[in-house]
Amino acid sequence: MNKFEFILRRLFTSIIVLIGVSIMTFLIARVVPSNAAELYIGPKARPEDIARVTKQLGLDKPLPVQYAVYMNELLHGDLGLSLGTKRPVLTEIRDRLPATLELLLSGMFLAVLIGVPLGVLSARWQGKPLDTGVRIISIMGVSMPAFFLGLLLQIFFFRDLHLLPLAARVNGNLRFTSPIVEMTGFFLIDSLLTRNWVAFKDVFLHLFLPSVTLAAYSIGLIARMTRASMLEMLEQDYIRTARAYGVRDAVITYLYALKNALSPTLTIIGITFAYALTGTFFVEVIFNWPGLGQFTVRSLLGLDYPAIMGITLFGAVGYVLINLIVDLLQAWIDPRISLK
Amino acid sequence: MNKKSIFFTLLMVAVLSLSACGPAPTATQPPATQISATQVPATAAPTVPPTATPPLVLKVASTASFETFDPIASFSVEAAYMPNLYEGLLRVNPPGSAEKYMPLLATSWETSTDSLTWTFHLREGVKFHDGEPLTAAAVKQSIEAAKDHGGAGFIWAPVDSIDAVDASTVVFHLKYATAFELIVGSTYAAWIVSPKALDAFAADATYWEKGVEAGTGPYMLESYTPDAEIVFTKNPDYWGGWTAGQYDKVVVSIVPEATTQQQMLEGGQADLVCACLPTESLPAFESNSNYTVIKDKSFFNYIAWFNTLRPPLDNVKVRQALSYAIPYQDIITIAVGGLGTQSRGPVPTGVFPWSPDVNQYTYDLVKAKVLLKEAGHDGGGFSMKLTYTASNPAEALFAPLIKDSFAQVGVDVTIEPLKLAEQLALGRRGATGEDMSLMLYWPTYADAGVDNLWSLFYYTAKPSWNLSYWNNPDYQSLIDKATTSDQATAQPLYTEALNILVDQAPGVFFYEPLSVFVIPNTVAGFQYNINYPFTYYFFYNLHSAK
Amino acid sequence: MTAIPDLTIEPEVQSTRTFRHVLNVIVRDPLSLASTIVIILFILIAIFAKQIAPYPLEGAGKTNVSNSMLPPSWEHPFGADKLGRDVLSRVIVGAQPALIIPIGVVLFAVLIGAPLGALAGYKGGWVDELIMRITDLFLAFPSLLLAMAIASALGRGLEKAAFALVISWWPWYTRLVRGVTLSLKERYFVEAAKAIGVRDSVIILRHILPNTISPILVQATVDLGTVILAMGGLAFLGLGTQPPSPDWGLMVSEGRTYILTQGWISTFPGIAIFVVVLAFNLLGDTLRDIFDPRQYR
Repeated sequence: MNKFEFILRRLFTSIIVLIGVSIMTFLIARVVPSNAAELYIGPKARPEDIARVTKQLGLDKPLPVQYAVYMNELLHGDLGLSLGTKRPVLTEIRDRLPATLELLLSGMFLAVLIGVPLGVLSARWQGKPLDTGVRIISIMGVSMPAFFLGLLLQIFFFRDLHLLPLAARVNGNLRFTSPIVEMTGFFLIDSLLTRNWVAFKDVFLHLFLPSVTLAAYSIGLIARMTRASMLEMLEQDYIRTARAYGVRDAVITYLYALKNALSPTLTIIGITFAYALTGTFFVEVIFNWPGLGQFTVRSLLGLDYPAIMGITLFGAVGYVLINLIVDLLQAWIDPRISLK
Repeated sequence: MNKKSIFFTLLMVAVLSLSACGPAPTATQPPATQISATQVPATAAPTVPPTATPPLVLKVASTASFETFDPIASFSVEAAYMPNLYEGLLRVNPPGSAEKYMPLLATSWETSTDSLTWTFHLREGVKFHDGEPLTAAAVKQSIEAAKDHGGAGFIWAPVDSIDAVDASTVVFHLKYATAFELIVGSTYAAWIVSPKALDAFAADATYWEKGVEAGTGPYMLESYTPDAEIVFTKNPDYWGGWTAGQYDKVVVSIVPEATTQQQMLEGGQADLVCACLPTESLPAFESNSNYTVIKDKSFFNYIAWFNTLRPPLDNVKVRQALSYAIPYQDIITIAVGGLGTQSRGPVPTGVFPWSPDVNQYTYDLVKAKVLLKEAGHDGGGFSMKLTYTASNPAEALFAPLIKDSFAQVGVDVTIEPLKLAEQLALGRRGATGEDMSLMLYWPTYADAGVDNLWSLFYYTAKPSWNLSYWNNPDYQSLIDKATTSDQATAQPLYTEALNILVDQAPGVFFYEPLSVFVIPNTVAGFQYNINYPFTYYFFYNLHSAK
Repeated sequence: MTAIPDLTIEPEVQSTRTFRHVLNVIVRDPLSLASTIVIILFILIAIFAKQIAPYPLEGAGKTNVSNSMLPPSWEHPFGADKLGRDVLSRVIVGAQPALIIPIGVVLFAVLIGAPLGALAGYKGGWVDELIMRITDLFLAFPSLLLAMAIASALGRGLEKAAFALVISWWPWYTRLVRGVTLSLKERYFVEAAKAIGVRDSVIILRHILPNTISPILVQATVDLGTVILAMGGLAFLGLGTQPPSPDWGLMVSEGRTYILTQGWISTFPGIAIFVVVLAFNLLGDTLRDIFDPRQYR
């Protein structure tokens, strides 16, 4: 199978999976044991109002017809109307996405920045105290519930040290002193681009605790997996050969092995994305972050099934695409691995 | 760019920026800029010449956002802001005011002797925010739309027809007498909306989703960022005029956490917070001379229904016994830190037709045991399923207190938290439903006779809210009479009905929580109005006292 | 084909040898030993919760209004919550659902996932294709997001949350067992059994599945920690255990309102989750070292 064939096949299976995913989210949402129309207009609704909204939402049609309508709307980029906010689900997702992405990216950035070096060092000093230390730290990272770590950090950095803000994305007063001009929707970058240092500092301080909370799990995961793939690389013949030729250990570790461990690290980042995405739900709730996570939790608790459907679908699509891209990148970097 | 391509561009942006682990230059796509477009006025602020006086801004932190911008459909937390954007014909003043009603879009009104014809004279020269003039036709169209498909459209049930007699006179013809001013002053389904916007909505069902408004109120909507911020700006042409010290802009930060709101109030990030600070924080504010703490009656009531279709709850003595076995004071202490009073029936104090002549149960386990014995259930020996609304933190706290107290009279309680919709659905299953369900209830508008007393305990075979299935002919006929009379005639009828209700105990009447406001001395003009329980602040009434 | 007499013996010999080897490694590694002790300790606490808890009734939910919000003291080492219940007792009684439900979740996930994986790997062809595409479908969702959506659709409650987690976890075992099966299929004892006409079901049950136990065990140990975290997370968000049942995640959530003033209400149950999950993860890590020597030498 050549590279082109592989890419086509991979794209094809992704599309099949996405169709399945759409059916599954649809079915999950239809299990919801309550009257959607009543949720839409509230508990004091008159029977005639419920009947009107049931019709308006198309809930009086048979299930396969509802699915067809849903798919048709989906292909036109319409995820339906949120029962809770009465706005299009797509609009809700779009409006909240920049905040969540900023959090997610800074968390992932932190995780890679700390996790990869930890893993490399750990592999380099395998079996030494440093390795054990990294092992403990990374396992602690994956064992700490985000919803508890967030609270601990709030207690420590806000209540005890008065160092960092308790919650929110920016200080409420910022819009009067140095308002952020939105360009990318990522406040950190927007304030940087406009050289708005006051805002930059404020955004940074607000972003810090949520990012750390989000990153903890991924740091552990990335460190462990980087270590594993590094060790595997150090076992390879050409590394042994390099060693035999007297190339210095440090050079081997950092240059040869790391370069080759890059491709498994990509896989790791793909996997970590799923954890980080669900991690944002907790982090956003705890730090009152105005993103997709809070909206998700509210929709889940409020039985807002079009929103649940939209978000689940969106999460799955994002996840499938990330994995697809990771696979394709790998095929490009290291043809041996993916063509197996 | 069509919606579909936005969707996929967005996904690609998300995905690409993730895999690149850095800022995506493509993120300046329409989705992102569209959001910022709503904030242009704010970002333009720094370009104002330095000599101009900066706008006077009121900063509010609140839990409430907009669940809908449709003033006709509005039946939820957006009531916190609607009265600033929209006006009705009149507003109901808080109890004890010199005048019972404040004229808004109507300057005066009168009723016929049989109370069946109500004539309202409209204010001259009022314009909607979109430039349309206020006319009798606009009023007729707004109310008819509300009656037809309003979220709380049922409040207009007594109205037979509406006539726009001339440009500034509206006449309502009623099917039966009622406390009509209270309906007209409702915070739901009674806003007068620009006919242009109503027509636009009729033509395009997504009209309100864009986040627009078309009222006559003192403030206009400037921008809305979901889950983050709402900005209001003053309507310079407001008919009431403006005086120095009133706020030019109101910026609302949406903050779900009470603790965070407290921090914002203390740190000056917020001038006002919605009435939901942690009760533990109040003593500190009370002892601080920079704040005034106001505690007042509220529109709310915690009640429970006993399902009288399920034995032994069909026995009035069992219901009375259980009513005596409720630790009312402990419940108030734990659930709201003592900031509440025991209810007299399901009508909140300060709301029509509350009466001090209605009886209450005490916490008396001995009496409870005696009554159980008389009912043939000596030592209890039966079990009950109790449901409550899971999203309500107070109910989560006091439901276990009920369980423990009932255990002392030998009644075993299983607690089940449910979503409100599930709770109601279970209750509507009749004899196969739950035994007892807790509910926080408030009237749709300031008439707890037509609402609470009818909705909660008037028997209908297929109830929407009377989950007790209690059917008492005396109560039914008193309510029938009272709900079709004017206020003065109705009050004694309601009081009599309330005492039957308390005596027969088809439900439990726990407590009404107090409304608590912490107002810094830098903000003046605040007056609490119980009749608009979700409207914490009428921005127009406030002015800076700095 | 001379190795027929060895057919059934080989895998078993290997598993006993491994078991002794595992014990040896664990006893020698202080971290793994400590983790094992912590796990056993918590299991004992869970079993004897009613006997150990200083206030077993309060642990189960009985209120004690006069003790509301008591700070930690000798009488109440972890303090008391808003309803005056002893937090230590709540944590102890909460150990039961916190440990037993996740064990059940993982067990069911294995029982569903492993046979399907063995079937897919062994049969190959369209059976493999079908099973693995269904698996892909489930794995296309971030696991916790899928579990949340299912839990929310089913309604609240411990059992429903557990069910949702089983639904989103089993595919991982299918994938794992399929991989192992593929490599076993090539081994001589399987080929031999096939050659003498042993039925497929027998081969899968007697020769393939027993040999997948070690990798499953490693995966399950790590997953236990993850599932405990997930259950706690669901309860924290209000999608899992409902009050007044004692549940660690729920307790963290209940105490959240008072985090700045009465921190103990959230802190102790949070620590309990952390310690248990840490123990499972450390042990799982050691087990992985043992069973996957290629990866860690």
